[in-house]
Amino acid sequence: MHSIYARANGISGLWSTCVMVLLGAVALSSFLFNAESKGSLDIVSLKVFHSKTRRYPFRNEEIGFVKFNLSADLTPLFNWNTKQLFVYLEAEYTNAQGVNNTVVIWDRIVRRKDDATIDIIQKEKYKLRDLSGSFSNVLPAQYSLKYSVMPYVGVLTYGEAARTMKAIDFPDARDSVS
Amino acid sequence: MTIQELVEGRIDFKGQKTADDIVRVVLITSTFLSFVIGFAFSSLMITMSTFVLCTVALSLVVLPPWPMFNRHPVTWLSESVQEQSQK
Repeated sequence: MHSIYARANGISGLWSTCVMVLLGAVALSSFLFNAESKGSLDIVSLKVFHSKTRRYPFRNEEIGFVKFNLSADLTPLFNWNTKQLFVYLEAEYTNAQGVNNTVVIWDRIVRRKDDATIDIIQKEKYKLRDLSGSFSNVLPAQYSLKYSVMPYVGVLTYGEAARTMKAIDFPDARDSVS
Repeated sequence: MTIQELVEGRIDFKGQKTADDIVRVVLITSTFLSFVIGFAFSSLMITMSTFVLCTVALSLVVLPPWPMFNRHPVTWLSESVQEQSQK
Protein backbone atom coordinates (compact mmCIF):
# COMPACT_ATOMS: atom_id res chain seq x y z
CA MET A 1 0.00 0.00 0.00
CA HIS A 2 3.06 2.18 -0.17
CA SER A 3 2.62 3.39 -3.74
CA ILE A 4 -0.29 4.00 -6.08
CA TYR A 5 0.50 0.78 -7.94
CA ALA A 6 0.53 -1.23 -4.70
CA ARG A 7 -2.79 0.25 -3.59
CA ALA A 8 -4.37 -0.47 -6.97
CA ASN A 9 -3.07 -4.03 -6.78
CA GLY A 10 -4.54 -4.47 -3.32
CA ILE A 11 -7.91 -3.07 -4.37
CA SER A 12 -8.10 -5.31 -7.43
CA GLY A 13 -7.71 -8.47 -5.36
CA LEU A 14 -10.66 -7.87 -3.09
CA TRP A 15 -12.62 -6.21 -5.93
CA SER A 16 -12.53 -9.29 -8.15
CA THR A 17 -13.67 -11.46 -5.25
CA CYS A 18 -16.53 -9.02 -4.57
CA VAL A 19 -17.60 -9.07 -8.25
CA MET A 20 -17.71 -12.86 -8.24
CA VAL A 21 -19.71 -12.95 -5.00
CA LEU A 22 -22.16 -10.36 -6.41
CA LEU A 23 -22.69 -12.29 -9.65
CA GLY A 24 -23.04 -15.53 -7.69
CA ALA A 25 -25.72 -13.92 -5.53
CA VAL A 26 -27.56 -12.73 -8.66
CA ALA A 27 -27.40 -16.26 -10.11
CA LEU A 28 -28.72 -17.77 -6.87
CA SER A 29 -31.54 -15.23 -6.73
CA SER A 30 -32.99 -16.83 -9.88
CA PHE A 31 -34.08 -19.78 -7.76
CA LEU A 32 -36.42 -17.51 -5.83
CA PHE A 33 -38.53 -16.91 -8.93
CA ASN A 34 -40.51 -20.07 -9.66
CA ALA A 35 -42.93 -18.74 -12.22
CA GLU A 36 -44.71 -20.95 -14.69
CA SER A 37 -46.65 -19.87 -17.69
CA LYS A 38 -49.57 -21.48 -19.41
CA GLY A 39 -51.10 -21.10 -22.85
CA SER A 40 -53.18 -22.89 -25.43
CA LEU A 41 -52.20 -24.50 -28.69
CA ASP A 42 -54.50 -25.78 -31.44
CA ILE A 43 -53.65 -27.15 -34.83
CA VAL A 44 -55.83 -25.48 -37.43
CA SER A 45 -54.76 -27.61 -40.39
CA LEU A 46 -52.17 -30.21 -41.22
CA LYS A 47 -51.43 -31.25 -44.78
CA VAL A 48 -48.76 -33.58 -46.11
CA PHE A 49 -47.44 -33.16 -49.65
CA HIS A 50 -45.06 -35.04 -51.90
CA SER A 51 -42.00 -32.98 -52.77
CA LYS A 52 -38.31 -33.26 -53.62
CA THR A 53 -35.59 -33.29 -50.98
CA ARG A 54 -33.56 -30.11 -50.95
CA ARG A 55 -30.16 -31.70 -51.31
CA TYR A 56 -30.94 -34.45 -53.83
CA PRO A 57 -33.50 -33.14 -56.34
CA PHE A 58 -34.10 -36.64 -57.75
CA ARG A 59 -35.29 -38.06 -54.41
CA ASN A 60 -38.87 -37.76 -53.20
CA GLU A 61 -39.98 -37.09 -49.67
CA GLU A 62 -43.09 -36.04 -47.76
CA ILE A 63 -43.30 -32.66 -46.06
CA GLY A 64 -45.94 -31.60 -43.53
CA PHE A 65 -47.46 -28.13 -43.55
CA VAL A 66 -48.95 -27.10 -40.22
CA LYS A 67 -51.11 -24.10 -39.42
CA PHE A 68 -51.39 -23.53 -35.69
CA ASN A 69 -53.32 -21.23 -33.38
CA LEU A 70 -51.10 -20.32 -30.48
CA SER A 71 -51.72 -18.05 -27.53
CA ALA A 72 -49.42 -17.92 -24.51
CA ASP A 73 -48.63 -15.44 -21.78
CA LEU A 74 -44.96 -15.66 -20.88
CA THR A 75 -44.69 -12.51 -18.75
CA PRO A 76 -44.37 -14.37 -15.39
CA LEU A 77 -41.03 -15.74 -16.59
CA PHE A 78 -39.37 -12.31 -16.75
CA ASN A 79 -37.46 -11.43 -13.56
CA TRP A 80 -34.47 -9.14 -13.05
CA ASN A 81 -32.11 -11.88 -14.13
CA THR A 82 -33.87 -12.84 -17.38
CA LYS A 83 -32.00 -11.83 -20.47
CA GLN A 84 -34.23 -13.42 -23.09
CA LEU A 85 -36.63 -16.30 -23.63
CA PHE A 86 -36.23 -18.84 -26.39
CA VAL A 87 -39.68 -20.16 -27.28
CA TYR A 88 -40.13 -23.06 -29.68
CA LEU A 89 -42.95 -25.22 -31.03
CA GLU A 90 -42.19 -28.92 -31.31
CA ALA A 91 -43.93 -31.82 -33.01
CA GLU A 92 -43.43 -35.03 -31.01
CA TYR A 93 -44.28 -38.43 -32.41
CA THR A 94 -43.18 -42.06 -32.28
CA ASN A 95 -42.43 -43.82 -35.52
CA ALA A 96 -43.20 -47.45 -36.40
CA GLN A 97 -39.91 -48.69 -34.91
CA GLY A 98 -40.79 -47.16 -31.54
CA VAL A 99 -38.30 -44.31 -31.70
CA ASN A 100 -39.34 -40.93 -30.32
CA ASN A 101 -38.90 -38.03 -32.70
CA THR A 102 -39.19 -34.34 -31.96
CA VAL A 103 -39.13 -31.76 -34.75
CA VAL A 104 -38.93 -28.03 -34.06
CA ILE A 105 -41.23 -26.29 -36.51
CA TRP A 106 -41.33 -22.72 -35.18
CA ASP A 107 -39.32 -20.63 -32.77
CA ARG A 108 -39.04 -17.09 -31.47
CA ILE A 109 -36.68 -15.11 -29.25
CA VAL A 110 -38.42 -12.86 -26.71
CA ARG A 111 -36.18 -10.12 -25.36
CA ARG A 112 -38.55 -7.91 -23.36
CA LYS A 113 -41.45 -8.39 -21.01
CA ASP A 114 -43.64 -6.23 -23.31
CA ASP A 115 -43.16 -8.72 -26.16
CA ALA A 116 -43.87 -11.75 -24.00
CA THR A 117 -47.48 -12.43 -25.01
CA ILE A 118 -47.91 -14.58 -28.07
CA ASP A 119 -51.23 -14.60 -29.93
CA ILE A 120 -50.78 -15.84 -33.46
CA ILE A 121 -52.27 -18.03 -36.14
CA GLN A 122 -49.32 -18.96 -38.30
CA LYS A 123 -47.72 -21.60 -40.43
CA GLU A 124 -44.54 -23.40 -39.60
CA LYS A 125 -41.13 -21.75 -39.96
CA TYR A 126 -39.05 -24.88 -40.48
CA LYS A 127 -39.84 -27.95 -42.50
CA LEU A 128 -41.77 -30.73 -40.82
CA ARG A 129 -40.25 -33.84 -42.27
CA ASP A 130 -39.38 -37.29 -41.03
CA LEU A 131 -35.88 -38.73 -41.40
CA SER A 132 -37.24 -41.73 -43.27
CA GLY A 133 -38.83 -39.42 -45.83
CA SER A 134 -42.41 -40.52 -45.28
CA PHE A 135 -45.13 -40.01 -42.72
CA SER A 136 -47.07 -43.14 -43.62
CA ASN A 137 -45.63 -45.34 -40.84
CA VAL A 138 -45.78 -42.72 -38.13
CA LEU A 139 -48.02 -42.60 -35.07
CA PRO A 140 -50.14 -39.50 -34.37
CA ALA A 141 -48.15 -36.45 -33.21
CA GLN A 142 -48.55 -34.12 -30.24
CA TYR A 143 -47.49 -30.49 -30.58
CA SER A 144 -46.04 -28.60 -27.62
CA LEU A 145 -44.75 -25.10 -26.94
CA LYS A 146 -41.59 -25.16 -24.89
CA TYR A 147 -39.50 -22.30 -23.58
CA SER A 148 -36.03 -21.87 -22.17
CA VAL A 149 -35.20 -18.96 -19.91
CA MET A 150 -31.75 -17.51 -20.54
CA PRO A 151 -30.48 -15.54 -17.52
CA TYR A 152 -27.87 -12.81 -17.42
CA VAL A 153 -25.92 -14.86 -14.85
CA GLY A 154 -26.82 -18.38 -13.80
CA VAL A 155 -28.47 -21.63 -14.74
CA LEU A 156 -30.44 -22.10 -17.98
CA THR A 157 -33.96 -23.29 -17.12
CA TYR A 158 -36.67 -24.68 -19.38
CA GLY A 159 -40.31 -25.63 -19.26
CA GLU A 160 -43.42 -26.29 -21.27
CA ALA A 161 -46.10 -23.69 -21.79
CA ALA A 162 -48.76 -25.33 -23.96
CA ARG A 163 -49.63 -28.65 -25.50
CA THR A 164 -52.28 -29.92 -27.90
CA MET A 165 -55.11 -31.76 -26.18
CA LYS A 166 -54.92 -34.92 -28.24
CA ALA A 167 -52.53 -36.40 -30.73
CA ILE A 168 -53.15 -35.51 -34.37
CA ASP A 169 -52.75 -38.06 -37.10
CA PHE A 170 -50.74 -37.29 -40.22
CA PRO A 171 -52.98 -37.34 -43.30
CA ASP A 172 -51.98 -39.25 -46.41
CA ALA A 173 -49.56 -37.45 -48.67
CA ARG A 174 -51.00 -35.86 -51.77
CA ASP A 175 -49.52 -34.16 -54.74
CA SER A 176 -49.31 -30.41 -54.58
CA VAL A 177 -51.67 -28.34 -56.69
CA SER A 178 -50.06 -27.74 -60.03
CA MET B 1 6.71 17.35 -6.66
CA THR B 2 8.84 15.44 -9.12
CA ILE B 3 7.22 13.20 -11.67
CA GLN B 4 8.53 10.19 -9.80
CA GLU B 5 6.90 11.37 -6.56
CA LEU B 6 3.66 12.00 -8.41
CA VAL B 7 3.59 8.57 -9.98
CA GLU B 8 4.73 6.77 -6.81
CA GLY B 9 2.21 8.42 -4.48
CA ARG B 10 3.92 7.41 -1.25
CA ILE B 11 2.01 7.52 2.03
CA ASP B 12 3.20 6.79 5.54
CA PHE B 13 2.50 3.58 7.43
CA LYS B 14 -0.48 4.75 9.44
CA GLY B 15 -1.93 6.10 6.19
CA GLN B 16 -1.42 2.73 4.53
CA LYS B 17 -3.34 1.04 7.34
CA THR B 18 -6.15 3.59 6.98
CA ALA B 19 -6.25 3.09 3.22
CA ASP B 20 -6.41 -0.69 3.64
CA ASP B 21 -9.28 -0.42 6.13
CA ILE B 22 -11.21 1.95 3.86
CA VAL B 23 -10.81 -0.42 0.89
CA ARG B 24 -12.07 -3.45 2.80
CA VAL B 25 -15.07 -1.72 4.32
CA VAL B 26 -16.15 0.07 1.14
CA LEU B 27 -15.83 -2.93 -1.18
CA ILE B 28 -17.77 -5.32 1.04
CA THR B 29 -20.44 -2.73 1.82
CA SER B 30 -20.86 -1.78 -1.83
CA THR B 31 -21.29 -5.45 -2.84
CA PHE B 32 -24.07 -5.87 -0.30
CA LEU B 33 -25.63 -2.48 -1.02
CA SER B 34 -25.67 -2.85 -4.81
CA PHE B 35 -27.31 -6.28 -4.57
CA VAL B 36 -30.02 -5.02 -2.23
CA ILE B 37 -30.74 -1.83 -4.18
CA GLY B 38 -30.81 -3.69 -7.51
CA PHE B 39 -33.10 -6.37 -6.11
CA ALA B 40 -35.46 -3.71 -4.70
CA PHE B 41 -35.69 -1.92 -8.07
CA SER B 42 -35.63 -5.26 -9.92
CA SER B 43 -32.98 -4.07 -12.35
CA LEU B 44 -29.57 -5.62 -12.92
CA MET B 45 -28.40 -2.37 -14.52
CA ILE B 46 -28.84 -0.56 -11.20
CA THR B 47 -26.89 -3.27 -9.38
CA MET B 48 -23.92 -3.05 -11.69
CA SER B 49 -23.92 0.73 -11.94
CA THR B 50 -23.98 1.27 -8.17
CA PHE B 51 -21.13 -1.19 -7.80
CA VAL B 52 -19.06 0.54 -10.48
CA LEU B 53 -19.78 4.00 -9.04
CA CYS B 54 -18.70 2.84 -5.58
CA THR B 55 -15.50 1.43 -7.06
CA VAL B 56 -14.73 4.68 -8.89
CA ALA B 57 -15.39 6.71 -5.72
CA LEU B 58 -13.14 4.35 -3.75
CA SER B 59 -10.30 4.74 -6.26
CA LEU B 60 -10.57 8.52 -6.07
CA VAL B 61 -10.34 8.38 -2.27
CA VAL B 62 -7.63 5.78 -1.83
CA LEU B 63 -5.33 5.88 -4.86
CA PRO B 64 -3.99 9.46 -4.86
CA PRO B 65 -1.64 10.35 -1.97
CA TRP B 66 -4.00 12.70 -0.15
CA PRO B 67 -2.59 14.71 2.81
CA MET B 68 -4.83 12.81 5.24
CA PHE B 69 -2.71 9.71 4.55
CA ASN B 70 0.51 11.61 5.33
CA ARG B 71 -0.35 12.91 8.80
CA HIS B 72 2.01 10.57 10.67
CA PRO B 73 5.39 10.64 8.92
CA VAL B 74 8.14 8.32 10.16
CA THR B 75 10.36 9.98 12.79
CA TRP B 76 13.93 9.05 12.02
CA LEU B 77 16.63 9.22 14.71
CA SER B 78 18.79 12.38 14.66
CA GLU B 79 22.36 12.27 13.24
CA SER B 80 24.15 12.68 16.61
CA VAL B 81 22.56 9.51 18.04
CA GLN B 82 23.67 7.57 14.89
CA GLU B 83 27.33 8.75 15.28
CA GLN B 84 27.35 7.63 18.90
CA SER B 85 26.10 4.11 18.08
CA GLN B 86 28.77 3.75 15.33
CA LYS B 87 31.57 4.23 17.88
